[in-house]
Amino acid sequence: MLLDKIIRFFCSLRLTVVCLALGMLLVLVGTLAQVEMGLYKAQNEFFRSFFVFWGPRGADWKIPVMPGGYLVGGLLLINLVASHFKRFRFSRSKAGIWLIHLGLILLLLGQLLTDMLSRESSLHLREGETKNYSVADRQVELAIIDPTDPETDKVVSISQSALRSQSEVRHPELPFTVRIQHWYGNSIVENRATNSAAAPAASHGLGPFATVKELPPVTAMDRRDVPSAIVEFVGSQGSLGTYLVSEYLEQLQPLRTPDKVYQVVLRPRRIYKPFSVQLLDFRHDLYPGTQIPKNFSSRVRLMHPERGEDREVLIYMNNPLRYAGETFYQASFDPDNQGTVLQVVRNPSWLTPYFSCILVGIGLLLQFAIQLFGFTLKRRTA
Amino acid sequence: MAQILDKPRCVLGTLLIAALFSAGCGREEVQVYRVAKDQKAAGSTRQHHPGDGHDHSEDAVPGLAYKLPAKNWEEAPPGEMRAASFRVKGEGNKTADVGVFPLPGMAGSDLSNVNRWRGQVGLPAVQEEELAKLAEAIEIDGSKAQVYDMAGENPGSGEKTRILAAILRKSNVAWFFKMTGDEDFVASEKKNFMSLLASMKFQGAARAASLPPDHPPLGAATGTLPPDHPPIGGAAAAGQAPSGAGENAPKWEVPSGWKEASPGQFLVAKYTISGDGQAQAAVNVSMSTGDGGGVAGNVNRWRRQVGLDEKPVEALGLKKLDVNGGQATLVDLSGTDNRTNQKARIIGAIVERNGETWFYKLMGDVPIVEREQDAFVKFVQSANYPNAPR
Repeated sequence: MLLDKIIRFFCSLRLTVVCLALGMLLVLVGTLAQVEMGLYKAQNEFFRSFFVFWGPRGADWKIPVMPGGYLVGGLLLINLVASHFKRFRFSRSKAGIWLIHLGLILLLLGQLLTDMLSRESSLHLREGETKNYSVADRQVELAIIDPTDPETDKVVSISQSALRSQSEVRHPELPFTVRIQHWYGNSIVENRATNSAAAPAASHGLGPFATVKELPPVTAMDRRDVPSAIVEFVGSQGSLGTYLVSEYLEQLQPLRTPDKVYQVVLRPRRIYKPFSVQLLDFRHDLYPGTQIPKNFSSRVRLMHPERGEDREVLIYMNNPLRYAGETFYQASFDPDNQGTVLQVVRNPSWLTPYFSCILVGIGLLLQFAIQLFGFTLKRRTA
Repeated sequence: MAQILDKPRCVLGTLLIAALFSAGCGREEVQVYRVAKDQKAAGSTRQHHPGDGHDHSEDAVPGLAYKLPAKNWEEAPPGEMRAASFRVKGEGNKTADVGVFPLPGMAGSDLSNVNRWRGQVGLPAVQEEELAKLAEAIEIDGSKAQVYDMAGENPGSGEKTRILAAILRKSNVAWFFKMTGDEDFVASEKKNFMSLLASMKFQGAARAASLPPDHPPLGAATGTLPPDHPPIGGAAAAGQAPSGAGENAPKWEVPSGWKEASPGQFLVAKYTISGDGQAQAAVNVSMSTGDGGGVAGNVNRWRRQVGLDEKPVEALGLKKLDVNGGQATLVDLSGTDNRTNQKARIIGAIVERNGETWFYKLMGDVPIVEREQDAFVKFVQSANYPNAPR
């Protein structure tokens, strides 16, 4: 029967061995690939994927050549769970093995959860500045802002994946359609003189004063792609103009509709929080008489009106602020020492690796003790 | 029996895992939220009219504060491209328009901008050497700016028109302050225009956007990431420019004793040279498409790095140097390093070729730069550029 065959496949020890071997190969190849691809891309292509694809340089087709991290890890997890249920019966003599397996399952599940749920972002603050959002490191959003309310801004944010993959975005909150005419994954924006022969990037906003060129994706770890896009806004009475939006162009560009003036900007994706953080002071201490850094620290004011909280916190190396499920690490600073960059990590499953290791450790000890106890008992009776 | 029981349990486990995998795959593509308007780093003294279309967030043209110079000056909606707008009213319904235009990058040379304005009042274009004579120096928030006063007849309407315009290049933004209107009326308001400029203060994000000292020249080519953007990886700067040249770097002969260092986000190549004790010097190589802001702009940028005042092009002491396929401009500057407050010397070379400009800079401890200057010149001369005219 087919179901039997499937179950047998997922429970087989062979699958375990193949998965472990593939896992080792994947780690080796994925590590070597970082030389060419850079850490971020290699991570995505080898470990955060179901298949690793390959294609000749310059060709626009690719074939899967080996299973990716998700597939190997997923199969291993299924294999472990399935064979555990099929082969193992709980008995006191195997309690240790049960614990070890439970720990391994938790480890694999925890990694999966971390991958799916954890979120890293950055919070850049100048001294005196207050923010209630952090920004994603490698993702942008097209923010269309309605600033008419004097107190608040209404923001319609279109994600990078939508900009990259869709040609048109409509939303009930927008009285116009957003047509993505061109998406540049990595780009350079140049000034364009008014008498230049080069075609302007777009018709409205900063578009007539700029040209945009596509660049190949960068691979170095300390560099990143700078995306741009040409978007057209089309209202009920026709086009409202084309705009060049780019991470280079930090200014909000006015978008005029018959009713009101919106503002558009392509900016790092913002992650808003129910509390705000103000940088009171950033310190970059040096060892006396040298340029060797001794300490970096940020004294911040944490304000959470709903909880009635308003307190000062000192964040420095190895002493992050853990608050509301997020951890704020001292990550970097501005060259003039008057601004700080905090890395903000949300990882709801950050405790699972600790639990799994404890479980595996206890399991190993227990199993060893059971074996030892049984062995000595046997010898004594013999 | 156990076999039968196993099946549903296995299937259940598998389904559970499959469900876990599929969860969280779809993040929302369009989100709508309402947020409080952003706070500024320093309290802006700019006066807003609620709902006037001014941007109140830091992403707008960053923190500009000013004092209206007279009662007949009033703020106007800024409109497209402007950071601020003013309407000046005079007797007999005379009005003048004042706008503040920030443009990323260098936004063309002073000469091309002045000649464009001169064209708007029917004046003939001038040459670079005349430009310096026309400029009136002024300081805006601690930075030097030039004011140009042009009057003539508007070729379109035939009206007597005067344009007062100031150019300020700060960080990576070219700021243009322009007053246009009736010739005599604008002349009578010139004093107020100058007071407005003197009262201008850049706040918050504008200061944050200042480029790190090693940033390649901004010219036609580069922009910066928003000041808010955090540095990526090891780069510690708040403003960053992309790489465009790394793959097309020239081939050159690196003198012995120069240690290759990570060029980071802004440079094509970087070498460090050690001396006695902690003394160090570094060679930075960067490239920009176009003129990269021009020789004078960049030499003056280097001058600022060693605490020297800016000078007009003829007073910069530029020398020529033969290099592969043409000539380079060579400059030698001594002063005090802004960052370390130590004595420092810069030897810089600028090579313009095929629509690109290459910048070589040897900077650091004075004895090391003295010792390495010949090696540096040979290094610049040894560069073999890729055939990649753009």
